[in-house]
Formats: sequence, structure tokens, C-alpha cells
Amino acid sequence: MKDFKLESNTKLNSGFTVPEGYFDSFSQLVLEQLPQSKPKVVSLFGKYQKWYYAAAAVVVLAISIPFIKSTDTTFEQVDPVTLENYLVNQSTVNEDEIVDVMANEDIEKIPIEYSISDKDIEETLESNPNIEQYLIN
Amino acid sequence: MQDEKEYIKALQNPHTQQKAFADLLTQYEKPLYFHVRTIVLNHDDAHDVLQNTFIKVFQNLNEFKGESKLYSWLFRIATNEALSYINKAATKNNYSTVEYQQKAVDNLVADTYFEGDAIQLKLQRAISILPEKQQLVFKMRYFEDLKYEEMSEILCTSVGALKASYHIAVKKIEEFIKT
Repeated sequence: MKDFKLESNTKLNSGFTVPEGYFDSFSQLVLEQLPQSKPKVVSLFGKYQKWYYAAAAVVVLAISIPFIKSTDTTFEQVDPVTLENYLVNQSTVNEDEIVDVMANEDIEKIPIEYSISDKDIEETLESNPNIEQYLIN
Repeated sequence: MQDEKEYIKALQNPHTQQKAFADLLTQYEKPLYFHVRTIVLNHDDAHDVLQNTFIKVFQNLNEFKGESKLYSWLFRIATNEALSYINKAATKNNYSTVEYQQKAVDNLVADTYFEGDAIQLKLQRAISILPEKQQLVFKMRYFEDLKYEEMSEILCTSVGALKASYHIAVKKIEEFIKT
């Protein structure tokens, strides 16, 4: 076959045909084969779900308020009287430890008052069997 | 374009999906059938591929984000299904894809649903020895009358490259038919 030109010759068709009525039944055939839609999952929370989340968020916030406040506290904000009272009444820190961290000058400034009467001293000495030992030394 | 957006919404809405999908079938079954048929050649194979195509389309309706036009998305899925069908069938029968297509053309002679004469058969034979991409481009342009712009969207190839492929395919086919 000489001088065959696809574009200038009468256009050839593909020659493909389909069985009679093929397209009448094809759609139905496909529709029947479609995967069934999945059953809808109903949430336990249902439509109020977002309110549950909101309530949970509020509770978390409420619980965390004391922590948020305490983290803001600094030493500058504690007043000296409260701190002193704490150290005297609540603390497990004993006096020796306090003295350890104090400067010598401060220690010397602490007024020392002896309010023991002479009578008490005498009584103590008399009742102590080792009194002579102390006296000798 | 607005209509297509509405239509896609209807396809993705579970309440309207069945009706919209039935419309889609009616609208696209013929063009997609002949698109697939020109690739796989045999009616029964085309039927299987087309069914798989529509089922795949249905399963992936929600994945369609509207980046391309609906028809090009459908044609792309159909093309991929048809090509992978040929490759699987060739592997299964221990043929190369080219050998498999030669056999498919041979079988057209006895095919009840092929009414081509000698020259149409020779044309099919000429196409079957082209590289895969040139075959596709030629079939889509010559038999299906698709525009280069449409083919470009479907095959994700530039219009220039498609024109070049078509031109080369035409030259090779004309040479084959002359001999």
C-alpha cells in the first residue's frame, strides 16, 4: 500500500463493537457490586462530645490553678515574720543548723539572757552526785 | 465549573452518593469503555477492567480533592487499570507486554466484537509494536478524538511532548502500513 496517510485518508475507526444492549445492563451490574457502605459508628459521647471535652478542660484548669500560683512564688515575696515563725514552729531544721548558716557577727548579736535563779542552780548542784567531780575540774 | 464542584460534593455525600454515582456511570461508561477497549483490545478484558475501574472510583471518591477535572481523574484511573491488567496478564502467561499485545491483535481476527477489515487490522498491528506511551497517545488522539489538553491532564505529560509522541507514532504506523 503506497502513500498511505493516516491524516488525509478517510479516518479509520477502531472496529470495536459491543454485545447488544451491553450498556443497558452495565450500570446495574456495577451498582450491585459496589461495596456496602460501612455501618455508621455511633459515638458513646454522641453529639455532646465537645461539651465533655470542654468540661474536662475546665476541671484540668481548676486543678492546676494552685500549682500555677505556687510556681509564681519567690523568696522576695515571703515576709520575714512568716518565715521566722515557720522556722521556729514547723521546721525540721534545728537550731544548730540555723547557727551554722549564720554569720559570726549575727551570732554575737544574739542577746543571751540567763533567767536561772541562784536557788535553782543550788538545787541542781545538790541533786547531782557528780558535783564534786565538776568542782575539782 | 461550579456545577462540577456541586456534583463532586454530591458524589462525596453519603446521602446523595448512590444517585450521583449512578449518573456518573451513565455519563462515563461509554467513553471509558472504548478508552479501555482500545488499550486491552478484547471485549471481555475491557469489561473486567471497566468494572474494576468504576469500583475503584467509588472506593476513592472521598480521596478526590478536585485538583484535576473529574473526567481526567476517571480516565487516569481507567488507563492505569488497563495497563496494569495487560502487564499482569502478560506476566501470568510468561509473555513480554509486546508479545502479549501481538497475541491480542492476532485474536482480533476471530473476535465477534471486532468488525475491522484488513486495513483496520493492519493498523492495530502497527500500533501494537509501538512503545507503550506512543500507543496510548495515538489511540487517545486518533480513535477517541481527545484534545491534547485533555490528554495532558490525563497522562500528566506536557502538550508538546504529546504532540511529538503522536507525530512519531503516525510516521511509524504509516511506514508499517506501506510495507
